[in-house]
Amino acid sequence: MHYTLSTATKTSLASAPEVQDQILGSLEMLFGTPQNPSYLRTKDWADAEFDPNHAELAADAGGTGELAESEMNGVKADNLVRFRSQLEQVARRDYAGLAEFKSAPHLSDRVAAIVADKELAEDKRQADLKALFENYYPSLRDSTELYRQQCLHCHGVEGGGDGPTAGSVEHPFLDPRPRDYRLGKFKFTAVKDKARPRRQDLYRVLDQGVYGTAMPSFRRFSAAERWGLVDYVRMLAIRGEVEHDLVITFQDDEHLTAEAPLAAFQDVWTKWQAAKEKVVVFEGEVPAPTPAMLKRGDELFHDAKKGNCASCHGDMGLGDGPAAYKLDDQGHRVPAYTDDWGNPILPRNLVQGLYRGGRRPIDVYRRIYAGINGGPMPGIGESKDADGKLVLPPEDMWALVHYVRSLSERDEAVAGGPIHGMTPPGEGGGGGN
Amino acid sequence: MRILLTLLFLALLVLGVWTFMDAHNHAWWLPPNVSSYGGDIDRLFYLILWMVGFFFVLTEGLLVWCVFNFGRKRTTKADFTHGHHKLELVWTAVPGLLLLVITFTQMQTWAKVKFKSNFPDVKPTCEVWASQFDWRMRYPGEDGKFGTVDDIENPFEFVVPVNEPILFNLRSRDVIHSFFVPYLRLKQDAMPGMVIPVWFQVEKEGSYDLVCAELCGWGHYKMAGRLKVVSRAAYDAWLKKSKEEMNSNGSEDKS
Repeated sequence: MHYTLSTATKTSLASAPEVQDQILGSLEMLFGTPQNPSYLRTKDWADAEFDPNHAELAADAGGTGELAESEMNGVKADNLVRFRSQLEQVARRDYAGLAEFKSAPHLSDRVAAIVADKELAEDKRQADLKALFENYYPSLRDSTELYRQQCLHCHGVEGGGDGPTAGSVEHPFLDPRPRDYRLGKFKFTAVKDKARPRRQDLYRVLDQGVYGTAMPSFRRFSAAERWGLVDYVRMLAIRGEVEHDLVITFQDDEHLTAEAPLAAFQDVWTKWQAAKEKVVVFEGEVPAPTPAMLKRGDELFHDAKKGNCASCHGDMGLGDGPAAYKLDDQGHRVPAYTDDWGNPILPRNLVQGLYRGGRRPIDVYRRIYAGINGGPMPGIGESKDADGKLVLPPEDMWALVHYVRSLSERDEAVAGGPIHGMTPPGEGGGGGN
Repeated sequence: MRILLTLLFLALLVLGVWTFMDAHNHAWWLPPNVSSYGGDIDRLFYLILWMVGFFFVLTEGLLVWCVFNFGRKRTTKADFTHGHHKLELVWTAVPGLLLLVITFTQMQTWAKVKFKSNFPDVKPTCEVWASQFDWRMRYPGEDGKFGTVDDIENPFEFVVPVNEPILFNLRSRDVIHSFFVPYLRLKQDAMPGMVIPVWFQVEKEGSYDLVCAELCGWGHYKMAGRLKVVSRAAYDAWLKKSKEEMNSNGSEDKS
């Protein structure tokens, strides 16, 4: 298994195979191989005692300091559960078979090294192993293995969304297609201005899944493993962006300097770090929906000068608005828009209540406020009219959010007692086997 | 050849019996039961297992004996027979009787677990939605109703209090799935378009595997969930925290 260049790169550089080799070589220098991925630590970073490979370490301890204390506590709590039997073994000083982790080869190596170290005092060995398990945070090498087992079959080796389960471009097997990370665009985030996602945004996707798509929740993995996957996915995205930038640089300058890859890498890295400044937060308490708000939301939803939602999402919110469709050469009704990945895209049917980016009011607020990066859904939270006033002041934003959410309400009361709302098919009922 | 075949069938008999006798040493056996009615189901399981085991040994033993006894090179002409009426009556009547025994012994348990008239008189805790390929538990919000905007949706984890009867509505979004928690001895198909009430009561806190037991598509193997059984206090705290998260204004995302 090895990283290759994207189809887009190969197409644009078809006449320059030596540049393709140069880019592939640079990417390997910057990001390693699928067997041993790691960021290149530039000289500046090494001087500043900064290592991008350690998201879990604080900035003054040589890491990027991207894991908050509460998040690290979650990691440790999960580790105690995940490594319970190993920690019991360590307490007994029984080290047989301790270093066998099928989805964490680097951890296996680290455990084996401590167990095999003859110079270590027994007390120290025990303490080191205990600390290793309790504070375990996966390296990129561990995460690449978990990625290979869990994610690759849809998202592909380079994160191009082209794994075997995704099908081919001509015959896609999944709808929607798996995310291609290499554009650095992720749809469901908490940030505005089409910023890169924060690590917490990617973590939330792993935690909650993207409901209504083939992306399930990955809660069955410990917090450490999920944060590790986030780190690895980010690396693949950065790698893809650098690749794309190098192609553009070559097309503009007609050659690639030796410094270009590093410059592109640092540029992309900075963009990813800037995301935390772009979080959409509502100052104040989320207002509870009232009938008056829902009525106001209804007006805004259909008002072409305000929300203008109905033009795509349809009068009833069924995702069948006139602007979402066009007629092709044969007169067939087809989706009017494609997303940034080139896939035809339809507006969400809001009546189904399947919110891919989360169903909390704040999630829907963020979708309306900042739009959906990579898709045609615009963000209108900061749009201003001719007089410089917000098109949707906060109270209108919430009216719209609550109206949109109310579209999916089912009228099914929870009655008391054992049976409700259905005719029992005979006393046995229920079916099943 | 006769000896070889005899030994082969004998080995099948011995291995078959040994597999069951030694299963608990290899984690091949059922996981421990934690539900209130799991014991009844286990008793039925063992009743049937002993019956089947007895006849397995009997018929397999007969087969071994026949191979050994009649497997010699034939020297005489074979007899022609129209069968044995009494013997046939016996091997029809005895299994028939045994089936009746099973029928009558299981009725109570089946009624307890599946009959709606025997369901505990409680409100449903949540809706469990099966879809390709994950489980989602939908708890009613403040209004106590399902399908309203204040519902709490929890992927993967089905959190319930211990030692209380739990009633839930099983639903499917797409195809047929099956809600299977081996620790509870509970399995129930989820049908698209149907609301199927299911109940259980867990008597031990802990985390138990929830899996899909009906082939539902390419991702069936990874359609896993977790039944998390906690104390009443912890459950209430979890529900309260989930409701707060539901009304978040996003400020926890500010760094």
